[in-house]
Amino acid sequence: MNEPKGFKSWIFTTDHKKIGVMYLVTAMIFFVVGLLLATVMRIENMDMSRQVIIGPQLYNVAFTIHGAAMVLFWMIPILLGFFANYLVPLMIGAHDVAFPRLNALSYWLYVGSGLIAVLALVMPGRLDTGWWAYPPYSIKTTANIAFYVFAVHLLGASSIAGAVNFITTIVTLRAPGMTWGRLNLTVWGIFGAFIIQLVGVPVLAAGVTLLLFDKYLGTSFYDAFKGGSPILYEHLFWFYAHPAVYVVALPVFGIVSDIISTFSQKKVYGYTSMAAAIMVITVLGFETWVHHLYVASTENWSRVLFMWATILIGVPTGIKTFNWLATLHKGSIDLKTPMLHALGFISLFTIGGVTGIANGSVGFDIHVHDTHWVVAHFHYVLAISMSMLCIGGIYYWFPKVTGKMYNESLGKFAFWLTLIGAMIAFLPQFHLGIEGIPRRYWKVPIRYAGEMRIAAIFSFIAILGFLLTIFNILKSAISGPKAPANPWNSKSLEWQIPSPPPFYNFEEIPVITEGPYEYGKPEGDVKKGH
Amino acid sequence: MENVAHGGMHVSGGIHHEVELSAWPFVTAVGSFLLPISFMLAFSWGMSHLGLLVAGIALVVVLVGLFGWLNQVHAKKGETSISKIAIIIFICSEVALFGGLFAGYLYTLLPAGVWPPANTPAGVPPIGLAVVMTVFLLTSSATIHNAESQLEKGSAGGTSAWLMLTSVLGLAFVLCMAYEWHHLISDGFTVSTNSYGMFFFLITGLHGSHVIVGLIMQLFVLLMVKQGKMSKNRHVFATVTGLYWHFVDVVWLLVVSLIYVIPYVKLGQ
Repeated sequence: MNEPKGFKSWIFTTDHKKIGVMYLVTAMIFFVVGLLLATVMRIENMDMSRQVIIGPQLYNVAFTIHGAAMVLFWMIPILLGFFANYLVPLMIGAHDVAFPRLNALSYWLYVGSGLIAVLALVMPGRLDTGWWAYPPYSIKTTANIAFYVFAVHLLGASSIAGAVNFITTIVTLRAPGMTWGRLNLTVWGIFGAFIIQLVGVPVLAAGVTLLLFDKYLGTSFYDAFKGGSPILYEHLFWFYAHPAVYVVALPVFGIVSDIISTFSQKKVYGYTSMAAAIMVITVLGFETWVHHLYVASTENWSRVLFMWATILIGVPTGIKTFNWLATLHKGSIDLKTPMLHALGFISLFTIGGVTGIANGSVGFDIHVHDTHWVVAHFHYVLAISMSMLCIGGIYYWFPKVTGKMYNESLGKFAFWLTLIGAMIAFLPQFHLGIEGIPRRYWKVPIRYAGEMRIAAIFSFIAILGFLLTIFNILKSAISGPKAPANPWNSKSLEWQIPSPPPFYNFEEIPVITEGPYEYGKPEGDVKKGH
Repeated sequence: MENVAHGGMHVSGGIHHEVELSAWPFVTAVGSFLLPISFMLAFSWGMSHLGLLVAGIALVVVLVGLFGWLNQVHAKKGETSISKIAIIIFICSEVALFGGLFAGYLYTLLPAGVWPPANTPAGVPPIGLAVVMTVFLLTSSATIHNAESQLEKGSAGGTSAWLMLTSVLGLAFVLCMAYEWHHLISDGFTVSTNSYGMFFFLITGLHGSHVIVGLIMQLFVLLMVKQGKMSKNRHVFATVTGLYWHFVDVVWLLVVSLIYVIPYVKLGQ
């Protein structure tokens, strides 16, 4: 085995594992950036009567870059960059992805986009538009909207290249015997997510390009005075940005299933319904975006239609949640750190999911639209729950990626900090929302100051938990004890090879004889190389 | 370029794989990063000369990256079936791109009542030229199909003849478009005229840029055929180019219907 070494072997690599690790490191840097910005905002929330550290203008910049960093540069890249890269070839039994060079290009475009996002935070013309950059404000503000547009362009090109690459990989490079019914649910989730990227990203890219044209070329696509419409942007934006939630959610659903199955030593309950639910959400996810526009002079028929589609998403999502619980039932449960994160995810996600159903109904949404309720809702359903699960996934595959073990007690301690902090940090904001307090204001009325202070304090606890986790990961990657090939006794294919995997993954392409969750069978039945 | 030959190569289900180092993705990404930087230098930070310089450098870097990449890919055996699936998947993404813009156009058109808006100059859209352009493009779809059949028969001469005809038709299309744009702009119909003007130039421009990309791909195929690098059993890139070209043609039919015919029949008047 002639594995390249040194600096060049990273910069010029086309190996999916190395690219995966580079995604992991880069995404974690943006996660820290996002966490620090959250900290700054929460410090500002500690006292509603005076400026604590930043003024309103920088507060706008902080939540803009916080949102963009967390969604676009942490969650999507950690899932479709790190997990997809590292795991898909290992799980389907391939040497690499279909187009290794294109894979490297995807990574470097992501880095370029991230650099532009950093410029948008530190250069004059700091972005203060919110992560959605609605016109007319985004065109009229002195903030430099070009940062936003080009960051989306580079990231979009990266995502489309990734989508073409991974969909092709999953369709064509499955090992002999790796039927669609034997794929890990993680692979199913990644497959669905990339389909959304493929179809959604170009529409967002088109939408933001028109922002640039309006600002610099004298067009008026979004100018209502000249025959355009700012609402058009909202449609184009949310056509991608709502399904983007499922870009994050679908791989997360898959990873939860894998973790729960392993640590219950039990077959995933209702595998077919799990895979089907992922594909149903992939399709249905595109029929819900108008629920972001209930108050944007949307026709009633359209509101009702999209309300039903939105609430309908609760059905496949509910199926998944019940299946996870059914998988746990009578399993031989081992509460290792990854498993704790999976269970923590389910509890946070359920709160977010149930409030989402409420949010999807037109009448209620009109009341809480753009209030703190929404902030609370999506931090439960997406932001914290799914970040927590991403961390759980990193812990789960940490021995595979690094060949070392992380610190179990520090992992558990950090988990409880994050869970307790996250559970309480956003509860007061549901109340503020119902009271009608709009979000994104740097100060709320003084009578809610106490609630916001509680929210702030618990968010610090959650953030501390995340930072401890990152410390644990870094420290264990450098000096953790050596990990066995399969510390969790998993039946999934990636655990049947050494940790870390050899340069070429598989000495020979394996022949697959059964699915990844066949627990409770005699040892000899595990799939092997032929 | 350091190519790491690998001992562990295996063929599975007809799929060939090798891992290596490649500088070209990195080079291409650096160029792609410099392009927006050049734009911001010129438009946001008021350094238009530097911006122009960086834009030039960026373009050269991107082209060098892509050329080196294609060269490296071509040095290997490609798998037609995988590339064919990949280009079809990519075309789905392109469909979404055009679909989004067409939807935006209809979103603007439908509430307008009168289309095109009243201040559109007479003679817009130039439907006669559009008919000629349609004929060029549809014919070129047939000729590229013939080129592919010739390639499968193993006739290099036939392939390059049909391919050249395709490129000539494509080039004629682009020239017509350039003439049309020039003519319209000098008649005072621009992106700022009204909402029809902005969508007209946006969508025909986007489509035109796809035609140009298709032409560059054809040029590359032509070079490879001339150099004997493409044969009956090895023509991944030709297949990909063919599929892409057919897609560009189909989109044109939608462009004609929505951007030319609807305003020509003066909807709502």
